[in-house]
Amino acid sequence: MIRMHDIAFSYGKRSLFTHLDLEITKGSIHGLLGMNGAGKTTLLKLISGQLFAQHGTSTTLGFDPTKRNVEMLRQIFYLPEEFPLPRMHGEEYLKLNIPFYPLFDKQAFNEYREAFDIDLKMNLNELSLGQKKKFLLSFGLASKTPLMILDEPTNGLDIPSKSQFRRIVASAMTEDRTFIISTHQVRDMENLIDPIIILHNGQVVFNSTLEHVCNTFTFTLERTEQSSSSIVFQEKVPGGYMAVAFREDGEEETSVDLESLFNAVVTKPAAFSQFVAKSAIGGAQ
Amino acid sequence: MRLLHLLNKEIHESRKAFGTYGITIFLVLFVINLVGAIVAKATGSINVENYYGMFPGFLMLGGAIMTSIFFSDDMFSKKGQHAWLMTPASSLEKFLSKAVINAFVYPIALILLFTAASAFTELIALAITGDKFIMFNPFNGSVWTLVLHFLVVQSIFLLGGTYFRSVHFIKTILAVGSLSILFAIFVALVSRIVFAPYFTGFFTPNFDSITVNFQAFESNMRIFSIIGKIFYWALIAPFCWYVSYLRVKEVQSTDAVQ
Repeated sequence: MIRMHDIAFSYGKRSLFTHLDLEITKGSIHGLLGMNGAGKTTLLKLISGQLFAQHGTSTTLGFDPTKRNVEMLRQIFYLPEEFPLPRMHGEEYLKLNIPFYPLFDKQAFNEYREAFDIDLKMNLNELSLGQKKKFLLSFGLASKTPLMILDEPTNGLDIPSKSQFRRIVASAMTEDRTFIISTHQVRDMENLIDPIIILHNGQVVFNSTLEHVCNTFTFTLERTEQSSSSIVFQEKVPGGYMAVAFREDGEEETSVDLESLFNAVVTKPAAFSQFVAKSAIGGAQ
Repeated sequence: MRLLHLLNKEIHESRKAFGTYGITIFLVLFVINLVGAIVAKATGSINVENYYGMFPGFLMLGGAIMTSIFFSDDMFSKKGQHAWLMTPASSLEKFLSKAVINAFVYPIALILLFTAASAFTELIALAITGDKFIMFNPFNGSVWTLVLHFLVVQSIFLLGGTYFRSVHFIKTILAVGSLSILFAIFVALVSRIVFAPYFTGFFTPNFDSITVNFQAFESNMRIFSIIGKIFYWALIAPFCWYVSYLRVKEVQSTDAVQ
């Protein structure tokens, strides 16, 4: 679905990506993680054709994203982190924008909108950031586009809306759809995103399914600091030390702690080099 | 069909700005012409209606400013750019939907507005002063000649509006002014070199060496006139439109500055 090879991109003299490779297959909710300034939004903009790489090749849904082909654009819905909505009612917005998305499902939109408690009679530019996000997310999910790109979707959402978000996105997921969700708030995305892509120092340093991670590592909360040779990474957390260790034969599987996984990967990327392999990503092409 | 949807979207999203501008023009025409009619009646002077005097200003200046800023939010604003770039339509359709509104919808809407405003104002003036009824004639040949000139001038501001990331109108004026000055200097220097035998000093013509062949002069001037007309009517607008389209096609998130 998305292939990027040897991508280089810089803002002026500040180089952001060098020799970046990425492959995303369809049918999953991919989590794109990275620290502030790691280039998550830039990567999403390169994927969607809003930015052009200075070097390398990339295809999105089989198209060259820099051409911004209509067929490609009508298969992508991109929810940015911050955005204005025009001064008009929700109904007017729908009337003006639905014609661009031939698969739009009005009934599904109403279900999402009701779940998010959005009033179509309100002026869109008077909604709060969270309400705007919920409105646009409902629109995007109902547009049935094969590729949904959500950039920090939970920023601005209140606590109940975050769980609603997880529930609704999970319910909207089909095997023909692919979600790429960028976030630095991994707790908001737990039990939703899989595979995980981690961007660090201008590279994709991790790209793997959680199943693969579970098979290889254990995540345990220990009372004291561990000194075992199998420990890959450990950090002090409330209640002790969260330890990431190589899973030994016969050892029980543990659930993945995304925050610890992320910290482990960005601290010791070399230990996770096997998880950058393209073959590690699950799903159909 | 998609172009029509885009046109509809553009007009719908800008309707408040268009409405405010239209009402302003209407009120300006109404107040100036009605006050003029009343004052003329009271002082016994001749009432001169101002519709034809004001139309070029609103068409040229208003149209140039509108064209300059019409791409601004969608091409160069960090907030507005995203939705525009991701709208499922081609770059050509996105460009045309805005360019057509500025180049064709605007002058036609302005002519209709002037016609309606003048008819309304003249009716009121007729009722108050009993003065003769002279309204703006949309079929006047000079109006449409002006619209043709507008298409050329507008194309330059279209290029400025898509090329410059901010302060589009002023930068376009400055760029055109600078280019004109550079061109004038270039022509002067070329003339000085080519016609060196006819000058003394730096730029003082040596009249003793000049013999004028009026027939050849007239013929040359005709050729220059034809070249000038072709350049003005056939080349400027297509060139500006094409380069503007390329700029729209190549715009990226990094171009957003506001």
